[in-house]
Amino acid sequence: MTVFLVLVMLFAGAYLVAVLEGWTSTGRLRFAGPFWAAVALLGRESIVPRKPDRVLYETAPVLLLVSAVLAAAVLPLGPHLVIADLATGALAVNAALAYVMVALVMAGWGPDGAYAMVAGWRFLGQLVAYSMLIVMPITAVAMRAGSLVTTTIVESQAGIWNALTQPLGFVLFFLAAMAVCFLPPFDLPTAPGELAGGIEAEYAGPRLAVVRLARMVLVVSLSLAVTVFFLGGWLGPFLPGWAWTSLKTLVVAATMLTAGRYVPRLRGEHVMEWGWKLGIPLALVNIFWVGITLVLRSM
Amino acid sequence: MITGARKGETSWLRRLAARASSKELAAFVVPGPEVARAFGLDLGAAGLRVVPSPRHASVLVVVGGLPEGLRDAASVIYAQMMRPRAVLVLGSDTASPLPGPDVSAPMDQESLSAAVARLRRAFAEGAWDPGVEDYAPEAAATETRYTCPMHPEVVQKEPGACPKCGMDLVPREVSSGESDGEEEEEEEAGELHHGSMDHGEHGSGGHEHMDHTDMGFMSMVEMTRDLQPSGDGLRMEWVEVPFGPLFPGLPGGLALTFTLDGDTVACVQSGSAVGRGGGCLQGVPVDDLLEHLGRIDPLSPVAYRVLALRAVENAAGVEPARATAYLGALEHERVVSHLGWLSSFGYLIGYEWLHRRAAGLQLALLRDDTGEGETLWGDLSDLLQRLRGATLLRRRLEGVGRLRTARAAEYPGPVSRAAGLPYDVRSEEKAYQDLGFEPAVQEGNDAYSRLMLHLDEMERSQEIVQAVGSVSAPDDLGVQDGISGEGDATVETPRGPARLRVRIEDGMVRSAELETPSGRHAQLVEDVALEHEVADALAGVASLDLSPWGMTR
Repeated sequence: MTVFLVLVMLFAGAYLVAVLEGWTSTGRLRFAGPFWAAVALLGRESIVPRKPDRVLYETAPVLLLVSAVLAAAVLPLGPHLVIADLATGALAVNAALAYVMVALVMAGWGPDGAYAMVAGWRFLGQLVAYSMLIVMPITAVAMRAGSLVTTTIVESQAGIWNALTQPLGFVLFFLAAMAVCFLPPFDLPTAPGELAGGIEAEYAGPRLAVVRLARMVLVVSLSLAVTVFFLGGWLGPFLPGWAWTSLKTLVVAATMLTAGRYVPRLRGEHVMEWGWKLGIPLALVNIFWVGITLVLRSM
Repeated sequence: MITGARKGETSWLRRLAARASSKELAAFVVPGPEVARAFGLDLGAAGLRVVPSPRHASVLVVVGGLPEGLRDAASVIYAQMMRPRAVLVLGSDTASPLPGPDVSAPMDQESLSAAVARLRRAFAEGAWDPGVEDYAPEAAATETRYTCPMHPEVVQKEPGACPKCGMDLVPREVSSGESDGEEEEEEEAGELHHGSMDHGEHGSGGHEHMDHTDMGFMSMVEMTRDLQPSGDGLRMEWVEVPFGPLFPGLPGGLALTFTLDGDTVACVQSGSAVGRGGGCLQGVPVDDLLEHLGRIDPLSPVAYRVLALRAVENAAGVEPARATAYLGALEHERVVSHLGWLSSFGYLIGYEWLHRRAAGLQLALLRDDTGEGETLWGDLSDLLQRLRGATLLRRRLEGVGRLRTARAAEYPGPVSRAAGLPYDVRSEEKAYQDLGFEPAVQEGNDAYSRLMLHLDEMERSQEIVQAVGSVSAPDDLGVQDGISGEGDATVETPRGPARLRVRIEDGMVRSAELETPSGRHAQLVEDVALEHEVADALAGVASLDLSPWGMTR
């Protein structure tokens, strides 16, 4: 039952995020927009490129969807509303997200097209830049909670949200989450102007619908992760827990979708350079800072 | 019914899908969105969403007729689009060799909106059709050749063994008529594919494929053993990838091909698919010269009209009395053209806000006959101010597309002014001197300084337009019939100085020589692209603000 509820909420969230995306890109708020877009895609031809690596080409969109859903599986929507409350939940998020890169490299290689291939490898570089910035802020969050269990992490924020006690970790995780979802300005693997859609360029019809759905679910999963790790998850007055989680997640998702419109796409080398030379030292400072506050409090 | 309907009987589910596709019209624009904007057309407002990949498009929009050089590319793009698909032609009735058109309309916003409404009905009613025909463009037809995996120079019409190493030859497709089986250049990625499916093939229109699959498994070491190491010491398979003539990030008609070594540009080929042929003005009556020149470049028609006027006035020995009258029009066009470039450039570098804002202002200024000018100029100032303070924009573009100063000096226009060289044709003209004109100059000689220079120029042009007041463009030559003489004139177009030398006899153009800025700047493409990462190379090329229409074909 929980599995069903969480999945329904996940896909409902993806739908709402698609509505928001339509709103930011066209300026019109159309609640039926994603429905018609999906039906239109399902009704179109979906032709396989000429000499694809068929297995990689067909698997990639599904793998992307699966990894996004897996990441959400360990994230709680409410105190008891979580698919798998693992003892290593916080790390499982990271493990599931590793397959995002695999899926995108497969989507890049599979169609046997140059634009897609360059795009796929670009994302491999992007993973090198962002992956430490996903793990290290989670480490600091787990230090405060004294646990890797995601529900415990939410409960540890009952007094004050992690976003306030660890602002540095929050900002780094937020940016890294945008990079995982390859949202602008980290949209190097889709880059419409540079690579004509990159990894998406060769998918059409129902297959493209799966890619788009997976991307939306990924945005929701990462927004949920930001909510759970930094914004106190289901905690909040008056409303039921799941409502707070949903509300916070949607706000995070909307911020992620709009923020990138106001800056140009980053250069690949800058993403790497800033990720390692700036991001990782800052993430270490964050861990050090959380360590000091924990020691001081226990004295 | 639409010509690009899917094959099949209609059912209720298909009717639902047809209705959905009529609501979600995604457009691929030929020659490009920048041409649509230059004609004052707002595709977004009409309900068409412009998409970068033909695979995601359902409508092929042809703006202003299909230039001859784009016919093959457009037909391959259309073949790559998924059914149901349709063709919308604006400003012309036909778009041969494309089928249809399903809807055609004149080039104004109202007709465009009406045409989109007609398209929606056509999609809703005729997205499926049992009797639909296949579309197999000639440009995408291929033949099979046999080649050796180790010796790509060995190409035969029949299967067999390689004369050099004895390995079995593997089949490979080349576009028909491309090769006679003799020694052939490495064409691997330049080939056009056509397969058993009726469409969805890839071609020179935009997307290319590499071709490893016939070779079976080979380790990286085997594959790259005989290759020359690149500048970075790595041995990689090179791939020839077209970025044009119909590429979403570059002006339509710019035929650019990069040979990629990884994601670094190892070789550059560039040209124009829509450029001028030679001698196109010969034998034209003088009265038509204005129209002829005005049609040369849809991205800056006014500048070329003024050029024609001045050359004829010079030939007729008339004092250029009306020179000041067209200053406003010239400078207005410079602002509009620069905004168009800004919008396209914003799209290329993934700066969504800039892309939309600049396009919106460009369209508003083009239609500015409602007296909103003042608020528009205010919006323009806001845009300029915001871009000048954009730190990430500077980080993105600094050092990209850098030229040697000596090299830039050979190319007068915005490119050389962005290299700190203040040469500008306008500063020699009295009318400009009277207004206290001084050319804008930027240091840096890279994509960022070119962007900043465009901003400065817009600001100065805006001041001139406000000072002069009138923005009317020349619509007739106003010279007597049957004139003879030789004329020579130069006009600073938005992309740099254009020069026209004409010899007129009895009211007919006997010879004409037109030098365009983009024709010259095209030679800089290699300088800004070679040995750069592909995104930087593209940004470098786009920063030159080339107009493929002004280049030679």
